[in-house]
Amino acid sequence: MLMEAKKNLRLIAMYFKFNLSAAMEYRGSFLIQTFGMILNNSAFIYFWWILFSNIDSIGGYGFREVMIIWSISSSAYGLGLIFFGNSIKLSNMIAKGELDSYLLQPKDVLINIIASGTIVSAWGDLFYGLILFTIVNGFNPIHTLLFLLFCVTGALVITSILIITNTLAFFIGDAQGITSLITEFLITFSIYPEGIYSGFTKLIIFTIIPAAFISHIPVRLINSFNPQLFLLLLAAVVAWLLFTYLFFKWGLKRYESGNLIVNKL
Amino acid sequence: MKIITVENLNKSFRVKTKEQGLRGSLKAMLSPTYREVQAVKDISLEVDKGEVLAFIGPNGAGKSTTIKMLTGILQPTSGDIRVLGLNPAIDRRKLSYSIGTVFGQKSQLWFHLPPIDSFNLLGRIYEMETKALSRRIAYLTEIFEIEELLDIPVRKLSLGQRIRCEIAASLLHSPEIVFLDEPTIGLDVVVKQKIRDLIKTLSKESQTTIFLTSHDAGDIEQLCKRAIIINHGQIVLNESVKNLKYNYMNQKVIDIKYSDEVSVEGLALKVLKSKGYAIKVEVDSSDCDIDTVVSNLMKLGKVVDITISDPPLEEIISGIYQHNSIGGDGLA
Repeated sequence: MLMEAKKNLRLIAMYFKFNLSAAMEYRGSFLIQTFGMILNNSAFIYFWWILFSNIDSIGGYGFREVMIIWSISSSAYGLGLIFFGNSIKLSNMIAKGELDSYLLQPKDVLINIIASGTIVSAWGDLFYGLILFTIVNGFNPIHTLLFLLFCVTGALVITSILIITNTLAFFIGDAQGITSLITEFLITFSIYPEGIYSGFTKLIIFTIIPAAFISHIPVRLINSFNPQLFLLLLAAVVAWLLFTYLFFKWGLKRYESGNLIVNKL
Repeated sequence: MKIITVENLNKSFRVKTKEQGLRGSLKAMLSPTYREVQAVKDISLEVDKGEVLAFIGPNGAGKSTTIKMLTGILQPTSGDIRVLGLNPAIDRRKLSYSIGTVFGQKSQLWFHLPPIDSFNLLGRIYEMETKALSRRIAYLTEIFEIEELLDIPVRKLSLGQRIRCEIAASLLHSPEIVFLDEPTIGLDVVVKQKIRDLIKTLSKESQTTIFLTSHDAGDIEQLCKRAIIINHGQIVLNESVKNLKYNYMNQKVIDIKYSDEVSVEGLALKVLKSKGYAIKVEVDSSDCDIDTVVSNLMKLGKVVDITISDPPLEEIISGIYQHNSIGGDGLA
């Protein structure tokens, strides 16, 4: 078990280096995409800044807290897609029968697939979050360490959701629509203050669209650390990963390959 | 020693059907209808260690589906498969260390990076030691003559160059069995010949078992000792290439062009087409000598161009049908 985990981590590291060098093949495009994403995200800071110069707090959050959930969500999303870029393309790969070459290799199929691709613009999301966090929070070693940890847990939750929704392609054929819908929900829920959700929506952000575990609980922990809450977060992440893995494995049994070269969908 | 055994293998897909047009689509939404399509029907076969086997048939015959079941990509509907003593559907990962696969239409090389990077990555995916890997790369580079291609991004390679690199990549981990699915598809005559020579060297030097699919009669003639022909998911013929050639592949088509008009009257030949300057004849090489036929044709006038070719595989298969009078529904 431990040996297997070590092997998989080594595989992820290998693909990371490999994909980075593939991305660097197009230096210009890499830089433009990275900085473009930073610029794109920055526009929203301005919007919140205007809002908070008129109101003191929204749902218990001040400008700083909103910027922190923004930075965690952005960096987590970026980190997830840098390491597991194919998780966003999975539905398409299933529909086109592109899993063949992964099934022929002696590695865990799911990890092999998602780690073998990257999204270049995700670097922009990662850096944007890091810079934004350092600006609004100042440099505090413990906070920065927690921030980095929450980027990892957030990345794992986001990747899980992407895999689960994409895996639906095994059952319904094309899952791209539902994937972008759920991803949209997840991002929207995770970048607005926790206090504005109540009742049913609160239940949703703690369960099927687990935005609370991406940004809201982390911001609570950065403000005042609570070991119980921290363990709850870790348990939720592990539960999501486990469920994702088993769900994909179940779906994979229905894989039908195919000889598609190009097709109209 | 049997290295692959397949017994009563079946694979069927459930396909959703709908009537034509928007009306049909609406109807299908309310009450979807399905049809079973049998891609592979009751196939049984055996392959010996070190054998080069041709698995041939027209498009849609079930070749790729069979290979996908042998390699563990697809789960069979029923039947039993043993590859190197393992069941591919269950021991897929274990089996993958001992088999190599090339799908002509699907690349395992990274499009934007040079082959050497992909080789190194694949070597590590197969958990090879660094030293052993670089020795293996050096060896394959030499026999596949890809030395000068190693540092060029794959997107800049020609199809023939890419296929050479693809085959080399599938051999990195020294597999015992290599599955080649249409390795020569889309290649020109010279490159095709080169790939064939490479496959020959490979089977001779390392005793690798080769399971080859193709719909090019030339591949089969030159490479394989035994051929299995499948059509509509069923085995039509399973015999030595020598017999196949003698019984079914004895037809040659000669296309010849002259600088002046000629007349073919008086020659005992089956003329397919005669347009004055150009003549197309079919020759049965089992009852007359190609050499004599060609020299007779040359005597008719000044020859500008001549080609001798095999009839397409589809014709050979329909010849087999006529010969064995099986599969009454003819060819698709």
